[in-house]
Amino acid sequence: MTKKVTINFTVNGDRETREAVVGQTLLKFIREDLHLTGTKEGCEIGECGACTVLLDGKPVNSCLVLAVELEGKELVTIEGLSKNGELDKLQHAFIDKFAFQCGYCTPGMIMASKALLDRNPNPTDEDINEALSGNLCRCGAYQEIREAIKASAKQ
Amino acid sequence: MADLKYVGTSVLRKDAVDKVTGAAEFIDDRFLGPLLYVKMKKSTIPHGKIKKLDVSKAQAHPGVKIVMTGKDYPNKIGLYLVDRDFVAVDKVRFIGEPVAIVAATSERAALEAVELIDVEYDELPGVFDPREGMKPGSPLVHDDLEAYERVPIFYPVPGTNISNHFKLRKGDVEKGFAEADLVIERDYYVPQMQHVPIETHKAAAHWSPGGKLTVWSTAQSPNVVRQLLAKAFGLPMHNIRVISSYIGGGFGCKAGASIEGLAIPIAIKFPGYVVKIVFNREEDMQGTFMRQGLYSNLKTGVRNDGRITALEYKMVWDGGAYTEYGVNIVRAAGYSSTGAYDIPNVKTDSYCVYTNNSIGGPVRGFGMCEMQWGIERQIEAIAKELNMDPLEVRLLNGMKEGSTSAAGQVVHHVAYDKCLQVVADKIGWGKKEGKFRGKGIAGLVKCPAQPSNAASSAIIRINEDGSAHVMIGATEMGQGMLTAISQIAAEGLNIPLEKIDIKVPDTDFTPYEWQSVGSRVTYTCGTAVKRAAEDALGQIYTVASNLLEVPKGDLTFDGKMIYSTKDKNIKATIREVTDSCKKCTGEGIAGPIIGRGSFVPTNMTNLDPETGQGNPGLFYCFGATAVEVEVDPETGVITVLQLASSIDAGKAINPQLCHVQLHGGAIMGLSTALYEEVKFDKGVMLNRNFTDYKIAAIDNTPHLDSFIIETPEVNGPYGARGIGEQPMIGVAPAIANAVCDALDIDVNTFPLTPERVWQAIKAKQ
Amino acid sequence: MLSYDYVKCSDLKQAFDALKANEHAFPLAGGTDLMVGMRGGKFVPRLLVDIKGLEELKVLKEDSAGITIGSAVTLNQIALFEPVVKNAAPLAAGAHSVGSYPIRNRATLAGNLCNASPAADTAAPLYSLGAIINLVGPDQQRSMPIEEFFLGPGKTALQKGELVHSILIPKPYPAGKGVYIKASRTGSVDLSTVGVAVQNWGGKVRIAVGAVAPTPVRALAVEKAVNEGGEKDWARAAKQVHDDISPITDLRGSREYRYHIAEVLVRRGLEQTMGV
Repeated sequence: MTKKVTINFTVNGDRETREAVVGQTLLKFIREDLHLTGTKEGCEIGECGACTVLLDGKPVNSCLVLAVELEGKELVTIEGLSKNGELDKLQHAFIDKFAFQCGYCTPGMIMASKALLDRNPNPTDEDINEALSGNLCRCGAYQEIREAIKASAKQ
Repeated sequence: MADLKYVGTSVLRKDAVDKVTGAAEFIDDRFLGPLLYVKMKKSTIPHGKIKKLDVSKAQAHPGVKIVMTGKDYPNKIGLYLVDRDFVAVDKVRFIGEPVAIVAATSERAALEAVELIDVEYDELPGVFDPREGMKPGSPLVHDDLEAYERVPIFYPVPGTNISNHFKLRKGDVEKGFAEADLVIERDYYVPQMQHVPIETHKAAAHWSPGGKLTVWSTAQSPNVVRQLLAKAFGLPMHNIRVISSYIGGGFGCKAGASIEGLAIPIAIKFPGYVVKIVFNREEDMQGTFMRQGLYSNLKTGVRNDGRITALEYKMVWDGGAYTEYGVNIVRAAGYSSTGAYDIPNVKTDSYCVYTNNSIGGPVRGFGMCEMQWGIERQIEAIAKELNMDPLEVRLLNGMKEGSTSAAGQVVHHVAYDKCLQVVADKIGWGKKEGKFRGKGIAGLVKCPAQPSNAASSAIIRINEDGSAHVMIGATEMGQGMLTAISQIAAEGLNIPLEKIDIKVPDTDFTPYEWQSVGSRVTYTCGTAVKRAAEDALGQIYTVASNLLEVPKGDLTFDGKMIYSTKDKNIKATIREVTDSCKKCTGEGIAGPIIGRGSFVPTNMTNLDPETGQGNPGLFYCFGATAVEVEVDPETGVITVLQLASSIDAGKAINPQLCHVQLHGGAIMGLSTALYEEVKFDKGVMLNRNFTDYKIAAIDNTPHLDSFIIETPEVNGPYGARGIGEQPMIGVAPAIANAVCDALDIDVNTFPLTPERVWQAIKAKQ
Repeated sequence: MLSYDYVKCSDLKQAFDALKANEHAFPLAGGTDLMVGMRGGKFVPRLLVDIKGLEELKVLKEDSAGITIGSAVTLNQIALFEPVVKNAAPLAAGAHSVGSYPIRNRATLAGNLCNASPAADTAAPLYSLGAIINLVGPDQQRSMPIEEFFLGPGKTALQKGELVHSILIPKPYPAGKGVYIKASRTGSVDLSTVGVAVQNWGGKVRIAVGAVAPTPVRALAVEKAVNEGGEKDWARAAKQVHDDISPITDLRGSREYRYHIAEVLVRRGLEQTMGV
């Protein structure tokens, strides 16, 4: 039997009550139940960062969190970053600096960057390296990502 | 070409907003409908006969729709050599090879059922080292190699594990060695690596009762998928629709056909279901194309003045269990075997050898990283032996306008010297900065490795308001194709970029493209698009000429209006011309405007089977990499302090996209140079996830400088050539050369892990 | 992928009852090792007992006894906690070197210890600091030095039904510098090939080495040479580490390299903490 638990949480500003299967990862729940497919799966073991989301404002690997742990928490995914169709300045900076290629790691990369800027509005290269070392980009847009974060910070 | 409006500017990416908002649809974001989940029972041994395969318990498991075995996939598949089983038939050839396929209504049921499949093997002796595998008497990975269908430019050796022996004989190598003052002979080894795009391989198939098969795939090359599946499953091409999405990184592993075929017989049995197969990271590492290992031996003859007179290059490639695609990497490395250098006398033998390791296949560089590692390290050895500056040896022997390649092809529009010089200058070549610091440089060249008839095509539909749809079959995997191709279309049509719509392919609607591989799309697809734009524009003038009663030659178009050059008052809007144009009397003139363009190379030839001489290159793209490193002499840890890279793009359609490509290639190259190696122990892959297989992260990324040289490729669109793979090629040898410079040590393989550097230091002491 | 149940605990008793009720119950705090192990089949839980909401396990404080780190405290909290940074530098560095920033937002010190990898980056620092592990069970509480907690790869002194309650960095704190130096393949997010913690205790040194034996080990021979033998030649002292360790060859490094690198890192640790 697949056991389900009722959970109450906020996703991208909206309060939700849902049933979550015990054992389902937050990543699968976000993609398959909330249908927020911007969050990506890359390794399922917390090594690539493609599934990074903000939980109570902190970046976490959603593949290493259970959906049932969402109870009482505030979840922000990449879809929650733009408001009423208006992109966040960080998203504009990623566009202007060509800070991605294939775009698959980008949602996780942007969420981890957003969290960094929230706690440190003027990060150095070293701060950026530390905050994003868990987000792999195989296309190698790392230099552009550093530039985008710094450009966004300056605004 | 002075007044280009769109080409040559760093316009922002077409896919940008999609990608920063999470709205970009990748394949797994769009599988819709009742799903069947596919999971594989995989071989646990590297080589053996399947003695018993009992799927009855799995078949009876709740939720399971069907279990398929090799007999359900009777035909083999292959791009160049048809040698690959979709699912093992009678025998297994590598660990991880599918032996049975379960389709169930939930992922969990499929996973559980896989565990209920009972397989027994009669294990056979395995082949794990291609040097052993090519010897007479080695166990055979494929017993009936000679019976396999193949493209006739490949040369298997019947009764052996050699699936292709490429031979090249240029000039007179014995004479060349006789002219040499010094002969240097060294062995090199390049291990297997994996592409590890962050998006793994994914596909789905749907069969409608009317006989239409729809396939969604992460494939780089939807048209090749369609072609190979049509053949393997005996379906007419018009009944197979292959749909692409944004691709989360390709680098070659998603070229050709990969996992799509596994879903098809299941889809045909269950019409209406979307049969979905998603590889997890471990399956992706183990069961999809990886870079072939290369064991090589180079013997170089050189005069005291540094001029290379002869080269003998022997390459033995670890092709893995199936070499359907790998045979062409072996060929490409063979016909390019002098690297970026003009060497008059060459003898090359390049062997593709079956082993019971995972499947070899295309990776960014298509053999050039592996082959030019040997060349660029060998140049270093020559310079050291002759006490010359390695840069000088490169400049002296480097290809120039009119040089001949290993295959004897005359190479044009070459500025290799500029590529070398600019990166050398950037890092302060010749100045030693500290005791444990070193500088290194390496050159590179690559032409697209494609059949001589690999074609592209494009359709441009002009809308009633003068905007346009550009339809092509190339895929967007991060390289920026959508943007660059749109720029070419805008330039050709002379309409603003924001009025261009472009999409990723759907083979039912988009025209033929051979493959998005080989750094060829900008050139080949770009040419087709440029021709389609010219065709559309020509039609616009024809219609406007009729409408305005002005000769075509007297018309001009400014993006909005078509004017008579003689009288600016005689004009028509693009809307009037494109909206099923009619005269004031109501008589129609012309219907909607549809431009078409296609491209096939006319400068390539097959190669002589005995000498490998001919014209294999569509164009030659040169570049160089220079680095400065600091090495910890106790731990062996390398810190890359700066990295500069250059490419002769001919014409950068979008300079910023080119720079990003140079940086990305530098990072991938750095990652392979320092960290990456797939480790096998008798066919068992030991590092199958990101915990054990490490790739470069942001904190491994040094400051990168990049330089674009523009020596126009006269037949390329606006002078452009492709540059996607090239930036990776020179990085590993440049880093190794710098490390050896720093500590006066020697290495013949990479990755240069701290431990390996430490061993090299010990070896010197 | 077996189905299982989940209980979010609001007090310790509930946790112990749950752990007792089901033979295959696993405590869940950060979950960063547990979930990886569950995916790979290493752990097959039937019940997950979520303890990270328990206030008493979220304690991170300094008092007269020292620094107390509750088992639900995350590694990021520890690495930034001022008393740890000031008085337990090897632990701050070790905690900071585990995984990536998002991992450390979930991962706990207790979890890193209970996973009992010989390469655990927080373990060697705790050895060098003389940390105490406080365990709590349904019937009793007990405490033990970190060295008694680690029994082997994946094995700890934790008994069935017991939980790590907290970790104590006892006072008096070491009077002197401490470091944690890690060698890894990439220098980025990576497991350690060898990790060395060196702590100066008012002129005496305490050294622990990770990833060189079935558990983290004290470099007792080196300590003896320095503390008792008065060895001031750090290079000569560091050579003694060969007697303290028994590394193996794995994907991250050979036995031979580990011997070498352990010696180098111990010497550097001595130089950095004991003066040149």
